[in-house]
Amino acid sequence: MRQAARSTGIGLLFAALLLPQSGFGAEFIVRSVATELKDDVYQLNARIDYTFSEEAQRALQSGIPLIILMDIQVDKQRSWWWNKEVAHLQQGYLLIYHALTKKYIINNLNSGAQQNHKSFTAALQTLGQITGLPLIDKGLIEADARYQIHLRVYLDIESLPAPMRPLAWLSSDWRLSSDWYTWPLQP
Amino acid sequence: MALATLKRLINSSTAVAVLFMLLLASLYLLSGSTHDSILFGRLYSVLLVINLAAIFLLLVLIGNNLYQLVRQYRARVTGSRLTARLVVLFIILSVTPVSVVYYFSLEFLKRGIDSWFDVRVEDALKDALELSQASLGIRMHELLRETEQVAAQLHAVPDELMALTLNDQRSKSGMAELTVFSASGRIIAASSKETAGLVPQRLSDSTYLRIHQGQPDVGLIPISDKELSIRIAVALQPHHPVNEKRILQALYDIPERINVLADSVQSAFGDYNELAYLRIPLKYSFILTLSLVLLLSILTAIWAAFFYARRMVAPITDLVEGTQAVAAGNYDKRLPLPGGDELGLLVLSFNQMTQKIAMANDAAKQSQQLMEQQNAYLEVVLAHLSSGVLTFDNKHRLHSSNTAAGHILNLGLQGFQGQTLQAVSLAVPQLQPLSDVISKHLQAHTQEWRDEVTLFGPGGRQVLMCRGTPLPHTITLQGGHVVVFDDITNLLQAQRNAAWGEVARRLAHEIKNPLTPIQLSAERLRRKYLDAMDADDAEVLDRSTHTIVQQVETLKEMVKAFSDYARMPALQLQPVDLNTIVAEVSELYHDDETGVRITIQRDSGMPLIEADPGRLRQLLHNLIKNGIEAMPDERTAHLTLTTHCVKDDKCRYIELRIEDNGPGIPEQLFEQLFEPYVTTKPKGSGLGLAIVKKIVEEHGGIIRAENLPRGGASVILRLPVTALSPDTETNPNPDSELENNSNAAA
Repeated sequence: MRQAARSTGIGLLFAALLLPQSGFGAEFIVRSVATELKDDVYQLNARIDYTFSEEAQRALQSGIPLIILMDIQVDKQRSWWWNKEVAHLQQGYLLIYHALTKKYIINNLNSGAQQNHKSFTAALQTLGQITGLPLIDKGLIEADARYQIHLRVYLDIESLPAPMRPLAWLSSDWRLSSDWYTWPLQP
Repeated sequence: MALATLKRLINSSTAVAVLFMLLLASLYLLSGSTHDSILFGRLYSVLLVINLAAIFLLLVLIGNNLYQLVRQYRARVTGSRLTARLVVLFIILSVTPVSVVYYFSLEFLKRGIDSWFDVRVEDALKDALELSQASLGIRMHELLRETEQVAAQLHAVPDELMALTLNDQRSKSGMAELTVFSASGRIIAASSKETAGLVPQRLSDSTYLRIHQGQPDVGLIPISDKELSIRIAVALQPHHPVNEKRILQALYDIPERINVLADSVQSAFGDYNELAYLRIPLKYSFILTLSLVLLLSILTAIWAAFFYARRMVAPITDLVEGTQAVAAGNYDKRLPLPGGDELGLLVLSFNQMTQKIAMANDAAKQSQQLMEQQNAYLEVVLAHLSSGVLTFDNKHRLHSSNTAAGHILNLGLQGFQGQTLQAVSLAVPQLQPLSDVISKHLQAHTQEWRDEVTLFGPGGRQVLMCRGTPLPHTITLQGGHVVVFDDITNLLQAQRNAAWGEVARRLAHEIKNPLTPIQLSAERLRRKYLDAMDADDAEVLDRSTHTIVQQVETLKEMVKAFSDYARMPALQLQPVDLNTIVAEVSELYHDDETGVRITIQRDSGMPLIEADPGRLRQLLHNLIKNGIEAMPDERTAHLTLTTHCVKDDKCRYIELRIEDNGPGIPEQLFEQLFEPYVTTKPKGSGLGLAIVKKIVEEHGGIIRAENLPRGGASVILRLPVTALSPDTETNPNPDSELENNSNAAA
């Protein structure tokens, strides 16, 4: 279902490309990614800069929950054919503002862990620090093959309330996404 | 192929209905998803795209239909005007109410959404939130003092006993969790209400910051979705100055009742705030959905207008074309039945009508053909009839005539069709007697009549036997009259000739018998008494007997000629060159002491004819003698003999013309010129020309006489050329052809 929604989203994105851009500077940037082998599991450490548009911050402070998705894909490189996808995982983070306690809450949708932050900046900083995320078991990695990891983060427009979606698809304030960040998997 | 199938699918009304239902369903889901239901909410964007695609498809279809309609309208294709009018009508009927509803719905929508929000409600919610925060703040203040008391008791406790002491303190004060951290954030000891070994809450960076600034950190934190707890972190003053600073963190549960109230305030405030934020997007979203519904409805209506206008007009177009076809004479046109409604009935009636017309037309054609055949048959019969036939309509105008009538009357009767008899006789005066007789009977409405009419034309006397009878009433004639007539001139002539022949034979017989005794007696009287008488008496006797003998001799000659006329020997036909005979006979008159001059003009290309040369010589003698005798003074006589070969397109015959320079033929004699004992000459027997005519007729020829304009008379005779001549064409029936020519000449 989400896949279908995303493909329609891509359609709308093309339409949006023709519209004038605004909200310049609001973007997600993957600063660095590294992997380390710990207990026969490759773990991911990454630092990501999140910059939200004012519109998105206003929505968050008005109680609209935002979901940030992180797509990670491990490809086995093949010289004679297209790369083969070995692993694909998606991490989801729910960002909510709790008015009563004046706290920004980050909810990891995969683990259910919750963190509270007094300020938005602090929340973003925490969100941008990925430490020790288990990526792939060592047994799934062939020693003589080469692998690439692709990573990107984006705001999930489809999880916004329905009335916001048509405008969100068309507005650069809401099309918040990083480019695909690619690096080789170091054993 | 695939395109045709697609077209058929699109055109079928079932497909239309299914498509429309699907669109309605998608619109329903779309409007449902606006209300944030979970399932529809996920589908929202998909539905939006589907509907936009549907609108695009409809626009393409309508554009195509419109383009075709405009093209047909310009080309003045049958039915395009009606289709255009129906389409416009349907569109106006559907778009107007929908647009009105749309406008008011839009107004209600805007006002409806605006009415959800109220400044007082907003203020009240804010106040409630602040009240909750204040109330919890008081509680936090109390708990801070409590925590500070606990901290004061803990600062002297060594690390080994810390856990025990913490447990003790926690159970005394009713805390949820009590943890001691080193300055670096390491947990030194912890005590928790939950026995399951949960990891205690870690310190956040901001907490460290505040502790380092020498201030306690007090905060309200959401534990889970609906639970709150109060966290207080204070610095533990070290027992020895060398010892590092420690941090005590205490977590207090909030009583259930307060938790519920706080959650209620939080969720109400949060929901209201979210709704307030969504106010504009929600409006847009509803307007979008409504507009989509409107657009889809209108576009579907327009398309349906095209679709149904075409479907409705199709049988009418068929009917128009069918009617035009019937008007153009194509009665085989059959139209497809559009269905069971009134239009279907109309088309069915049209089909039945054309079928009946076709049948009637066939019947009419057949009867016309039959009539034409009968007419042709009648015409052939009439044309080959030797009798002349004339028909008149009820207004006594000439309606029709056959060829024989034209031949007999020597007229082209076609030119007189539709004219009255009076008009015909005015144009051709010699027909006056015929016209008088027929008019008399027509006006008297005589049922069956018979009459003999004598005409005087340039060709001579003509006796016609006419019979007439009224025609039955028919559509074309409405009671006309038919007159049948025959030329009985020749018949009468033949009868007269036969009678004359009989009289001549008898007379000759009766007269000839006593002549010889009379002659013999006169001669005996003379012989016996001439010598015995005195001279005076003897002279009387001699003269008288001489006269008797002479007159008897003359009488005998006359009787011989008379019987010759009545009894001519049979013809001995052989090929003859007329030029030779003309030359021979005229030669005899050359040396005549009388001083007659004869000029011969011969046609060198004369064919041979089949004739009796003896008779021809007799004929020529008679004619030449007749010509000479006609002259008052024989010495001035000048005859011209002309032979001429006449070539018509059909038959060929030769012509002999004998012209004299005499006084001409008296008018009153023309009629009976060639009859026996008709003469103006003192010496003639009156049989010369009668014998000539007889010889000509025996040879199948004709003869006529005319006066020349320059004076003198001319006798013209024509003889048919037979097949004997090598350079002549075969003429199987020269007599009948000559009959025609004789009529023409007459």
